This record gives sequence, C-alpha cells and structure tokens, in this order.
Amino acid sequence: MIDVSNVRAGYGDGADILNGISLHAAGGEIVTILGPNGCGKSTLLKCIAGFLAPRAGTVAIDGEDVGAVPVHRKVRGYGVGFVPQTDNVFATLSVSENIRLGARHLPRAEREGRFDALMRQYPTLAAKQNRKASALSGGERQILSLVRALIAGPKILLLDEPSAGLSPLMMHEVFDAIAGIRDDTGMCIVMVEQNAFEALGIADRAYVLTLGTVAMEGRARDLLADPSMRELYLGGSVAG
Amino acid sequence: MFEFLIHVSTMACLFGLLALSLNLQVGFAGLVNFGHIALFGCGTYGAAIAFANQWGPVAGLLLGGAAAALLALAFARLGRNLGADYWGIATLSIAEILRTFATNEQWLTGGAQGIHGLPMLFGSLPAPWGPLATLGLCAVLLAVCWALCQRLVNGRYGLALKLLREEPQLASSLGYDLAALRRTPLVISGLIAAVAGFLFAHYTTFVGPDQLYSAETFLIWSMLIVGGLGNNLGAVAGAFLMQFLLAYVPFVKDALGLPSEFVAAMRLTLVGGGLLAFLLWRTQGLIPERIGGRHA
Repeated sequence: MIDVSNVRAGYGDGADILNGISLHAAGGEIVTILGPNGCGKSTLLKCIAGFLAPRAGTVAIDGEDVGAVPVHRKVRGYGVGFVPQTDNVFATLSVSENIRLGARHLPRAEREGRFDALMRQYPTLAAKQNRKASALSGGERQILSLVRALIAGPKILLLDEPSAGLSPLMMHEVFDAIAGIRDDTGMCIVMVEQNAFEALGIADRAYVLTLGTVAMEGRARDLLADPSMRELYLGGSVAG
Repeated sequence: MFEFLIHVSTMACLFGLLALSLNLQVGFAGLVNFGHIALFGCGTYGAAIAFANQWGPVAGLLLGGAAAALLALAFARLGRNLGADYWGIATLSIAEILRTFATNEQWLTGGAQGIHGLPMLFGSLPAPWGPLATLGLCAVLLAVCWALCQRLVNGRYGLALKLLREEPQLASSLGYDLAALRRTPLVISGLIAAVAGFLFAHYTTFVGPDQLYSAETFLIWSMLIVGGLGNNLGAVAGAFLMQFLLAYVPFVKDALGLPSEFVAAMRLTLVGGGLLAFLLWRTQGLIPERIGGRHA
C-alpha cells in the first residue's frame, strides 16, 4: 500500500534529515516508526503525508508515485488520513463539529451516516458530542482526532506520536483504539512513537531510525525481544 | 458644522471599508498584512491614472480593482514560501516599494506632486447634496461589503479561514488547500480596499504618494484592535470611533485653550495611547470575536 524507497529529505536549504530511507506498509497492519529525538521519524511521516516533498527517492501509494502530491490532495484523492501530534483538535468548536470537519467534502447524507456509525462505535465521545473540544481530556482529544480522520473513510492512517503528553492510562486507551481501528477496518496504519515498547505492543512491524537511516526493522514481537532495542531506549546505541 | 459632520462620516465610511477588508485578512485568516495601504493605493491610482488619460471613472474603478487583485495574488504567492512574521515584513516592504515607485515615476503617477483635479462623483449637485450623495454611496457600499464579509465568515468558508489562522497544519490534514485559502480573502480584501481607494480619490479630488505611508496601515490596524479583531461589526465600529475621535481633537484643543501645535501630538497620543490601553486591558476589542459557531 505504502512504499517509501531511498528517500532523502530535509527542510529548506538545510542538510538531509532522511538519508535514503525505505519503508513498506501494507493494508491491515500497524507499522510503527521509532527512534531517538531528532532521528527523522516525524520528517519521514511528513514526507509520506505530503507536507514535505522528498529531495530524492519515491513515496508511492498503491504503486503510484505521490512524492510531490501535497497533503490536502492526498487526503481528498488518495484516502490518506493524518493526525498531527499536538494541537490536533479545533478547541473552540464542539466535538461533533470537529468530527464533521473531517468529512466536509462528502455529501451530507453520507457524512451524517458515518457520523452516526462512529458515535455508536465511540460512546464516550457521543456522550460529549455537544461539548467544546477544549473541555475534553488529553486522551479524549486524541480519540476525537482519530475519529475525525476516520469519518472520511481513509484507507491509510498516519499518526504522529498519538501518545504525546498522555498519562499511561490514557495512552493505553488511545493505543487500544488504534489497534481496534486496524482490526475492524483493515486499514494501513503508520505510527510515529516515542513510547517504543507500548507502540511495539500493538504494532505488527517496526522501523527504528537513527540519524535519518533505518537502523533496525522487523516484526514488532521480534524487536520487543531484541536486547539492542532495550539498549537503545535505555541510553545505549544500536550496533548494527 | 453639518458639512464637517458629513465629511467625517464619509471618511469614517471609507476607513470602515478599509478596516473590514483588513479584518478579513488579519481577523479571520490570520494573514498579518502590514502593507494593506498598497491595496488602497491601487484604487486611488487606478482612479487618478484613468482620469489623467481621460478613460473615465468606470475604467478607473476597473483598473484599480485589477491592480489590487494582482497585488493581492502577489502577496499570496509570497505567503507560500514565508512564515507569517516574515510575510508581514514582506508586505510592508512591497507597500513601501510601490509608494517609492509612485513618488518617482512622474510620467505615470504625477510623481511627488500626485494627480490633482479628479472630478467629485456627484460634483454637479449643489452643496450639501453632492457631499450627502457621496456619503450615501459610501454608506451603501459599506453596508454591502459588511454583508458580503458576514456571509463569507459565518459559513463553512469562515470556519476554513479560522482553521487556517489557528491550526494550518490541521487544516491541511483535513484536506484544505492552504494556498487557495490564502488567495481568496486576500483578493476579496484587495477589491474592497481598491473600491475605498477609488471613492477616496474622487472624494478628495487628489491622489499622491503621501497617502500611502505605512502609518496609514497602522492606523487601520489600530481601528481593528480597538473595534475587535475577527468581528466585522467591531471593525466598522473601530473605524467610526477612531475617525470621529481624531476629527474632534481640534475642538477639544479649543475647549481646553491649548495651542494649535498640540493637535498633531494629541492625535498621536490618542492613537498610540488608545491602542496601548486596548492591548493591555481589552485585547478582544470593543466588540469581541464570536467564538465557536454552527459551521460544520
């Protein structure tokens, strides 16, 4: 579904942040991108989403090179849903208004049908649908931003650190919701995360980046058992 | 006194148009434009150049509108590569470049002397009917532009503008084309400012580069901050309040028995002090922006 091949990318005239990264994500799986701060995780996700065009290499969706396609066209034409890391809800609007924003380009009947179905699926949000989004907790805001992405019916979901700033309890709630989306919809989910071990707990496969290159990749359960992962996340370095 | 009141009201309507147009950019779309006066200048010079070449006022209006639309598109094009703060400085620079151009290109703009003798729009009517008719026209146009701006910002399009202002990355991720979102309010705002410029040129019968100093942009900003950024009624109220206060400063001077040189200082104090007071104690302005809504 998503094929990233030898991508080099960076901001403005600056140096490359991604130095020839390749990644594959298929439908029905959660692929998580891990790594220390500054390794290029969010940059890679922005490249896939279309916020940043690669300087070299290709980003393909279903075999079509979409590296130069901007994010707003990917959302509307390629079935991509993107959930930013922070400031991901419109705080002054109600929960229901926030959700409907995600499907503003759909016909009203279809939009309302999807809205009703999602409200049945997420009763906690349904109970607060008339409240301002600013009144929600951090975890509820993350769920709200996920649901807003889902209402458009994407086939690819890109999540930028969905657990950022959340308490452990809320983080598990959000990760459960993400796993549920994969299980229910068969969607392709690519997720950048700092909480490596929790992310590996729900992911199918993972890529670990260091300095803009892929240092490790493999099945999530294998990486969880890999001692070098623990070394990396407890302050060590990846040997190779 | 009656004629003075008509004059101040006419100027208030013209500044009301400018405040409305800047509010569309700054208040709703978050486009911090410090070169807004250049869009107004397109309207004034459109009228003046058409007059100098004997093309007639309709051609002047079209010329001013077309120039303002092109300038607005140029502003929008700059915004694709610059952050909001750098974009604001760039708009200020462009406005200054255009003012310098108007000062030096005598063959086109009349240079520093400007272009004199434009006809008043209702000049054939005897006083006070001519100025009253001009005031009526300005008031009607202000009402029409206010209704247009209200329609724009109260629907789903207005919500898109606010998303652009507050969470541009979020807006992109919802499928909004940010470049197109920036373009539209800039062009509409430019057209409104150009109409105000056209009317101003025919009202004062003179167009010159001194009307395009950046201080005029900051006066319009002050009107917005006092009236209420992000509220169309606030923008118009701010323009009227500031215009009337500034116009009546000489009367206050006379009442207090102050020398004439105090007038300019009092005006500056009124603008600067008032602005500071609102920024410190009432940041939302006299009529605050309505938060939330029934957009989606």
